[in-house]
Amino acid sequence: MKEKISFFDRNSHFINWWILIPAVILSIFGIIMIFSASSYTAETSYGNAYYFVEKQLLGLALGLCALVFAYFFNYNFLSKLKYWALAVGVLFLLIVFIPGIGIESYGAKRWIGFGAFSFQASEIAKFCFIIFCAGYMSEHQQKMQSFLGLMPVLCSGLLMCVLIMLEPNMSITMCLGMVLMIMLLTGGAKIKHLIFLSIPILCAIPVLIFIEPYRLSRLTAFLNPWASPQGEGFQLIQSLYSLGSGGWFGVGLFNSRAKYSFLPFSESDFIFSIIGEELGLVGAICVLILFLILIFSGFKVAIKANNRLGCFLATGITSILTVQVFLNVAVVTGLIPPTGLPLPLISYGSTSLVVFLGAIGVLLNISRQSSRSIVNNIGKKSIFVSKNKTKTA
Amino acid sequence: MLKKSYSIYSLQKRLLAIMGTATFLFMCLFGKLFWVQIIQGKSLQVKAISQWTRDLPLLGLRGSITDCNGNILANSYTSYNVYVRPSNVTNPDSVAICLSNLLGVDYDTVYKKATTKSVSESLIKQQVSADTVRYILQQNINGIYISETSTRQYPYGNSLTSVLGYCTIDNVGQSGLEAYYNSYLTGINGATMTESDIKGLELSNATTSFIAGIPGCDIELTIDIGIQMILENVLENIMLEQQSKSASAIIMNAKNGEIVAMASKPSFDLNNPPRDDVEQLLSLSKNSLITDVYEPGSTFKLFTVAAALSSGVTNVDETFYDPGFRIIDGQKIKCWKTTGHGQQTLVDGVCNSCNCVFMDLGLRMGVEYFYSALKSYGIGSATNIDFYGESSGIMMSENLVKNVDLARISFGQAIAVTPLQMITSVCGILTGTLYEPKFIKSITSNGVTKTFSSVIKAKTVSKSVSEQILSMMEQVVSKNDGLYSFVPGYRIGGKTGTAQKYENGSVASGKYVSSFVGVYPVDDPQYVMLLCVDEPSAGQYYGSLVAAPYAKQIFSQMFNYLNIEPTNLSEDLEKLSLDVTVPNLVGLSITDACSLLASLDLQFEIDGEGSMVLSQSIPSQEKVYKRAIILLKT
Repeated sequence: MKEKISFFDRNSHFINWWILIPAVILSIFGIIMIFSASSYTAETSYGNAYYFVEKQLLGLALGLCALVFAYFFNYNFLSKLKYWALAVGVLFLLIVFIPGIGIESYGAKRWIGFGAFSFQASEIAKFCFIIFCAGYMSEHQQKMQSFLGLMPVLCSGLLMCVLIMLEPNMSITMCLGMVLMIMLLTGGAKIKHLIFLSIPILCAIPVLIFIEPYRLSRLTAFLNPWASPQGEGFQLIQSLYSLGSGGWFGVGLFNSRAKYSFLPFSESDFIFSIIGEELGLVGAICVLILFLILIFSGFKVAIKANNRLGCFLATGITSILTVQVFLNVAVVTGLIPPTGLPLPLISYGSTSLVVFLGAIGVLLNISRQSSRSIVNNIGKKSIFVSKNKTKTA
Repeated sequence: MLKKSYSIYSLQKRLLAIMGTATFLFMCLFGKLFWVQIIQGKSLQVKAISQWTRDLPLLGLRGSITDCNGNILANSYTSYNVYVRPSNVTNPDSVAICLSNLLGVDYDTVYKKATTKSVSESLIKQQVSADTVRYILQQNINGIYISETSTRQYPYGNSLTSVLGYCTIDNVGQSGLEAYYNSYLTGINGATMTESDIKGLELSNATTSFIAGIPGCDIELTIDIGIQMILENVLENIMLEQQSKSASAIIMNAKNGEIVAMASKPSFDLNNPPRDDVEQLLSLSKNSLITDVYEPGSTFKLFTVAAALSSGVTNVDETFYDPGFRIIDGQKIKCWKTTGHGQQTLVDGVCNSCNCVFMDLGLRMGVEYFYSALKSYGIGSATNIDFYGESSGIMMSENLVKNVDLARISFGQAIAVTPLQMITSVCGILTGTLYEPKFIKSITSNGVTKTFSSVIKAKTVSKSVSEQILSMMEQVVSKNDGLYSFVPGYRIGGKTGTAQKYENGSVASGKYVSSFVGVYPVDDPQYVMLLCVDEPSAGQYYGSLVAAPYAKQIFSQMFNYLNIEPTNLSEDLEKLSLDVTVPNLVGLSITDACSLLASLDLQFEIDGEGSMVLSQSIPSQEKVYKRAIILLKT
C-alpha cells in the first residue's frame, strides 16, 4: 500500500511554539550580537559598521521564508528526494574544488560562489545527508540491523566526510561524523556494529591530526595557550580574556572590549565569547538554555513523529544543532582544541542561517503533522507499530 | 520473523539516551563557563585590561644630586624620543628633510627608516629637547611620533667626573655615585592607560586612567662644589705645567670623615660621555683615588712617627745620625739624600724626611707592634666609603716581613695604599679618631629626609701624639722644603712624598708619584688634603717641587672662598721674603757648587753620579726663599 503524499499540507494549524520562539529569539539575538561584535571591524575594514549586519539580515529574511515554506511543505515528500539530496550534497562538495567557482579563503576551499552570491557547501551538504539518511533508514528499517544493510548510509556519510576533509574542514567533518553516528544509532543499527565502526574512526583522528601540521600545533596550543600567546594560542587566549572579563553579569550590551579587533572572528565562530563578555555568565547560560529548549523540543518532535521518516529527520536536524552548539561553545571556552565552527542561528553566516531556519521549519512541519495524528488517533500507542505492520504484511 | 524487531520502544530509549548525553555535555559547558568567567574571571580580566589598553609611561624622574650647599650637581629633565612610523608616513621626503635639519641626523638614514614598511616604528633620535620637539610637531608632518623620556644633566660637566659617574642613555647609573645610589635615585614610572584597539588606535569613547610616576630620591653630598672647582682648576694647571699623566686630589673634613672635594684629571664631560670609546670611558670613569693603590713614599712616614711616639720608642728630642744610609741585615739602604743629613733630632728627621730616622723607628718597634698600629690607623683595610670598587691596599703578610722590608715600610716603600685610605688614616692620626669616609650627607624623598651621621671606626693615637705630629707638619711647611706650600697668615701643616713607580715588579726609571699631604688649621685640624701628581714629566719630580706649590694654591684659594681671615700675616710674610738670588752653578764641580749653595742657605739635591753640574732646576738670578731646594744634574 502506497500512501499518496501531498506536496502541501494544510490539515492542521498547529505551531510548536517551543521550537519557533527560541529559534526566532536566537536568530534576532544573533543579529544584535553580530552588530555589537562586528561594527568596529566592519567600520575599519569596510567603512560600513552595518556591513555584516546587512548581510545577516538578508539571511534572516531568506531564512524566515525558508522556515515558512518548510512549515507548509509536507516533509514526507522529502523521502522521494533522498537520492537527489545525496547527489546535490556530493555535487556541491565537489564543485568547491573547481577553480573559479570554488572560493579559497584561509587556505581552505569551502565556498561556492556565483557572482555576488556565495555559500558554504558543507552547510547545505550536511542537511542533504540528513534527508538521504532519514529517507533511506525509514524505508529500509530491517536492513539497518545488519552490517551490510547500514552500508549505504555509512558510505554516503563517509564520502561526504572525506570530501569535507579535503577542503579541508576538520570541524564540519567531526560534526558530520558525530551526526552520522547518532543517525545510525536512532536508525536501529546494532550497538556492536556501532562500536566496531567507531574503532577505525577513533584511529583516524590522530592520523588526520598528524597529516596537517597546523592541527598538531593547534592541539599543543590548546594544552598550553600561554606558551605562544602571539601564535597559535592567540585566539583561545583572546576568547578567554573576553569571557573572563564578563564575570556574572557582563560588561553590558555593546560594551565588549575584545571586539576591537583583538578577538579574530568575533562575529562568527567566536561570537559566544562576546556574548559571555557583554552579558556575563548569566547571559551566556540563558543563550545555552534557549538552545537546550530548542534541542529538547526537537527530540520531543522526533519521539512523537508520525512516522520513522519524521522521527529520523527531526533527530538529524536536532543532532546537527546539538553537536554544533556543543562544539562551538566547547571551543570558545577552551574545553576542546580550537576549530572553526559557527554557532547555529547566531554566528554571522547567511547560508548557515537560511539552512538552519529551513530545518527549523521542517521540525515545525513534523510537529504539526504529528499533532494532527495524535489528535486523530487518540488511544493508539503509536503509528510506528501499525505502519511497520502494514509494511511487513 | 526471527530477528528481534527494532521497536518504537528501543528507538525512544535511544533518543532519550541521546538527549541525556546532550544534557550532560551542556552541563559540562556550564561548568567550564563558570570556571572561566567566575573562578578565573578576575585574573583573566587583569591580563585582558593590560592588553586592551595602550599604556604610555609617565616618567618618574631620576633624583637630583646636590652638594652640601644645595648646588645642583646632577639632575634630570623631561625630554623626548623622536620616532617615525612608516605606515603613517605620507611623504617620506618631507619627514627626512624636517628631521635631518632639526635633529642633525643624516637625511638618507631618516628617509630609509621612513620608508621601511616592515618595521612598525623606528627611533630617529633620543633625548630631544622640548623646544625642538614642539617645533617638529608644529610642522604637522604625518608619521612622526614622540615619546617622553628624560635627560640627565650635569651643570659642572667636566668636574667631579669620577665621583658622580655617568648614566646610560636610559638613565641607569653606570659608575660612581650614580651607580652606587642608583636604586635611590631611580624614579618609578607611572603610566597613562588608554583603551585602544589591537593596533594601539585609541577608541573614540576611550577612557584614560592615570598612574602618576614617583620621582627618585634627591641626594645631598658632602662635596662643596666651591672647593671642588678650586681643586679642578689647580689640577688642570698641574696637568699643563707638570706634563703629568694624571693629577688627583682629595680634601677631607678631618672632624667627621666627609669628603669635601675629590677630583681627578684627566676627566670627561659627564653631559657627553665618550660612549663610543668603551676603553676610554672605562678608564676615565674609574675613580682611581678609591680603586687604585700607589706606593705612598714619604707621606707614609707620618704613620711611622705616630706609631713610634705612641709606643714610646722615641721622643721628639731624640737625636739620630744619618750617614746617608743604613746597613740592615747586610743590605745597604740609602737615604734619599745620599750625602746624609748628619746629626738631627726627630723633628728635623721628619722635616728632612730622612729615611734613616724612620728605618730606626721601624726596627725599634718591630713588625708586630708596627703592623697593629698601622691597622688601627686603617691601613690594610677598606675604608667602607659609599662607593663601588674600593681597594683595601696591599700590605705584606706580617709573617713574611723581614727587617729589610720593615725598614722600607717605615719610610713608605714596600706597601701600597689607596689615596683615599691614605688621607683617611692621616685624618685618623691627626684627630685621634678614625672615621669612615663618606660622600652622602642626606637622602630626601617626598619631603622626608634621612641624614647620615659619621661613623667612627676606631681610636688611633693620644691627643699629645696628634699634637706632636701636627707641630712637626707645621714646621715642615713653615721651615723646610715644604715651604713652597706655605700660605702666609694661615697655620698649615704638611708632608711631601715622592715615590718611585713600579712596573712589572721592578722600579720604573723616571716614573714617580709626587704627593703632598696638607692640613689646616694645625691647632684644630679640619681640612686635610692629599694631592697626587702621577708621572710628572716637566723635569722635576720631588713632591716638594711638584705637589707642594699647588697645594699652596689650593689652600690659599680655599681660604679666600671660605672667607678665612689670615692671622700673624706680617710675621709670616717675613719668612717668605725672596731674599736669595740663585747663582749660576752650571760648569762648577759638585763640591764647589755645594759649598756655594750652603753659604747662601740654599738646599740642593744631586741627580747623577758625575762630578760636574750640567744643569740646575732653578735658573740663575731667580729670587727664591731661604732654604729653597735646587736640583743639580751632573
